Amino acid sequence: MSQTGDAQPVVRLRNIHKSFDSNHVLRGIDLTVGQGQHVVVFGPSGSGKSTLLRTTNLLETPDSGSVWFDGKEYGPGIEGEGLPRGKARLLRQEIGMVFQQFNLFPHITALDNVALALRRVRGMKRDKAEHKAATYLDRVGLLDKLGAFPSQLSGGQQQRVAIARSLVMEPKVMLFDEPTSALDPELVGEVLAVMRDLAESGMTMVVVTHEMGFAREAGDLNIFMDDGLVVESGGKELYSDAREPRTRAFFEAIL
Amino acid sequence: MFDFGVWILAQARFRPEFIWDNRDAFLGGVRLTVFIAIVAFALATVLGLGVALLRMSKNRLLAPIVAAYINIFRAIPLLVFVVFVYYGIAIQFDVKISAIQAGILVLTLQYSAWLGEIFRGGIQAVSDGQTQAALSVGMSRPQTFFRVVLPQAIRIVIPPTGNMFIGMIKDSSLVFIIGVPELFRVSSVMANRTFRYFEVYLGAVIFYLILTTAAYFGVKYLEKRFALVDVLTTRVRSPFARRRGVRLRMIQDAVASERESKSSGTATAM
Repeated sequence: MSQTGDAQPVVRLRNIHKSFDSNHVLRGIDLTVGQGQHVVVFGPSGSGKSTLLRTTNLLETPDSGSVWFDGKEYGPGIEGEGLPRGKARLLRQEIGMVFQQFNLFPHITALDNVALALRRVRGMKRDKAEHKAATYLDRVGLLDKLGAFPSQLSGGQQQRVAIARSLVMEPKVMLFDEPTSALDPELVGEVLAVMRDLAESGMTMVVVTHEMGFAREAGDLNIFMDDGLVVESGGKELYSDAREPRTRAFFEAIL
Repeated sequence: MFDFGVWILAQARFRPEFIWDNRDAFLGGVRLTVFIAIVAFALATVLGLGVALLRMSKNRLLAPIVAAYINIFRAIPLLVFVVFVYYGIAIQFDVKISAIQAGILVLTLQYSAWLGEIFRGGIQAVSDGQTQAALSVGMSRPQTFFRVVLPQAIRIVIPPTGNMFIGMIKDSSLVFIIGVPELFRVSSVMANRTFRYFEVYLGAVIFYLILTTAAYFGVKYLEKRFALVDVLTTRVRSPFARRRGVRLRMIQDAVASERESKSSGTATAM
């Protein structure tokens, strides 16, 4: 797995602020994600982890600050730099996202869930799109479920379809927003196995999770957030000797 | 007051064949009832979708205007509305409009308000997560609406919309008041001419029942048609679903055999 620091940056967040009404959720976040890096984000609920991910692919527009991705800048930006601007829709085609609640499209089959964006966004012909979609479903072990609708699948299967739906777009970065939190305990393993494979294949990933086993194993850069700020970040050593008392208290509470 | 003539007629023998003998007159009315109900409902559906979308828009000018539209057109009794438009507005302002057009216009306006509220409920019942997931794979806002949100909303609104269509068939009888020769108007004219009140109105009741029952089964069929069935694991009858099953199986086999050949390829290379 790749190293922290020296990798080519893929995504850079600078001084991101975001409020919902009077609730200041993100209060100046800086984060650089390198090529092939696996970033794990922790923190108590309400600390802004999800909003951080959703800002990264611009499902939420930051109030101020800059999202930089692949040579272009998104969001309000940093004054006076004049970086080339990009369109949010094009960024989302390059950054995949997996949601806590799966959010599969319930009215179409597993195959169509994966093929939809290939056809409508990439403009691929139906035959090609369905074949490619089936290949990705095979990759997450669900080739026998092509014709199933989401309601006919278990939570773990649904989340694997959701991962295939993102991967099929061949994104440069994958965002995972607590992908196993809504699953029954016995179904967590199958989703983590897919994520491990993906990490080993060199995919750049930003993962919000409380699965400490996965985090310790895959996390190159580990970030502890609280109250809209990055409290502490580091490599694997963060788990054994965190400097900040808040980080230590959090680890003690969940382990 | 006792009317001897009416009493005499009431004692006359019940003649069910009277309905059959006058079937052509009844069917003429049925035809116009169906025409009015279908045209007005189709127009109301299109208008209702527009009403729903504008009602949900964040536009500070349009949203309250549309809210007022809904509240006004839902609140006026249909019978009063028809008379007001045809005898009131049309005469006062010398608008050249036929009774059928006036009837369709009024039914369309009132039903677009009701349907608008049903559609809004259906669209809002589709979770935000659906929109986010569609956007997250790079779909545009219109694609997200038409490919992801709307198809789910349609499923949700089929039953209440079907009820509205049955309501439309019944409410279309109210345009009799402006002389539109639909089923009820035809019946009342026939009854007044022949004094066969019981047979004539029994005929009207039967024909309305046939129409609404047919509509009911139509809605049931639509609900079934939109049901979600895995064509790979369920025995399906429709030829469309069968072809889809064959197709999916072909894709499955192709992908599986590609995987096989790939893994055996690596095995020989090692």
